[in-house]
Amino acid sequence: MPANQFVDVSLTGSVTVVPPKVRSIEEDLDLFGGNVRQIERLKKTLGLNERRIASSELTNLDLCEQAAQVLMERLNLKSSDLDGIVYVTQTPDHSQPSNATLLHGRLACSSDCAALDVGLGCSGFVYALWLAYSIIANGSSQRVLVLAGDTLSRLVHPKDRATAPLFGDAGSATMVEKRVGAGVSWFRLGTDGRGSNSLMVPAGGARLPFSEQTSEEYSDDDGNIRTKENLFMDGSEVFNFSIEVVPQEIEALLDFAGASKDVVDYFVLHQANRYMVHNIGKRLSVDLERCPVDSFGAFGNLSSASIPGALAYELADPLIGKDGGRSSHKVVFSGFGVGLSWGSCLLTLSDLGCLEWRVFNA
Amino acid sequence: MEIKTFIQQFEESLDGLEAGTVNETTVFKELKEWDSLAVLTLTDTIDLEYGVLLKKSEIESCETLQSLFDHVQSKV
Repeated sequence: MPANQFVDVSLTGSVTVVPPKVRSIEEDLDLFGGNVRQIERLKKTLGLNERRIASSELTNLDLCEQAAQVLMERLNLKSSDLDGIVYVTQTPDHSQPSNATLLHGRLACSSDCAALDVGLGCSGFVYALWLAYSIIANGSSQRVLVLAGDTLSRLVHPKDRATAPLFGDAGSATMVEKRVGAGVSWFRLGTDGRGSNSLMVPAGGARLPFSEQTSEEYSDDDGNIRTKENLFMDGSEVFNFSIEVVPQEIEALLDFAGASKDVVDYFVLHQANRYMVHNIGKRLSVDLERCPVDSFGAFGNLSSASIPGALAYELADPLIGKDGGRSSHKVVFSGFGVGLSWGSCLLTLSDLGCLEWRVFNA
Repeated sequence: MEIKTFIQQFEESLDGLEAGTVNETTVFKELKEWDSLAVLTLTDTIDLEYGVLLKKSEIESCETLQSLFDHVQSKV
């Protein structure tokens, strides 16, 4: 059972960068056969509103690079201060080398620095934090930079209602540092590879290389159109997985930490959509004000950047204490998705140096 | 489990569906309110009310509300 606790390690800041292009659900009227009522229903039930789309020359590496630069400037750190780079993405610039090494080069980091990618989606931010906390807790490393994000707008078929209106693009950079007295951080992780078919891009890897056939469009039972090169999602399977696994995983994490739900200030859940977040919140019997959900309507489902995106967009003032409140908070993060894969952690966030979101090159 | 309560829960879980418009013999997949979103909200309701988590294919293999009710009841 991958359950770990770490002492004297802390998340010290995070920046999320989104592309400038905004697309609203109203622009997808044609996708829903001109059915205005259906659009209204999606807005009301799922919380669909706006999402961010990267232009064709902008990749996730560009977004994360800018996030990293802003973050290090705010924290007064130099690239030579980094002992490690962990980059979670499923949309890297190349199949090799990894985005982490490319970013290492762009930031001109020291050669005394480990750099690797993690191939996960919506659960990935928690996995990357877990790695960063492990690297620091188990050795001489002081500082690990965690990047998380995707440009899924490139992988969805514009005529697939199950994916196209949901996902937004973003890149995030989060700093994890050695900090004596930081207290204990708790993690739990899990996988169910039998569910791998329910979220998948079938073609483009070694199993099924791109070909004329993989680029052929097909229509499914619900009338959605895609090719084997696009992201496929069985929304119903993923929903069932999430409501079955996530609430009990969070309960188990809190049991492991010996903490009650009352001491948790925020449950920062992966914002797959508003319905999912509210549903998990209800099943946990926690009031929904403690479960942020507004970044979904502003940016879309941000894959692995969803949790850092929520921290920056919705929780900067309360967590930093700018609103006159305290600057130490207990938070639960929970990510879940493609794999199927999930991870949750309970952290104490104190004296954060920076929580910020911005538009690329703005 | 009561079919009357079940029908009421069905009506409440489908956004836009008015109370009293369906009964045991309704072929629910033919309702204009029935779509992939309705599958999610109905799945959720049945799980919360009866502790039975149905797959989409299971729900859609039932024709009428009575057969869906019977299916849920067989799994409680």
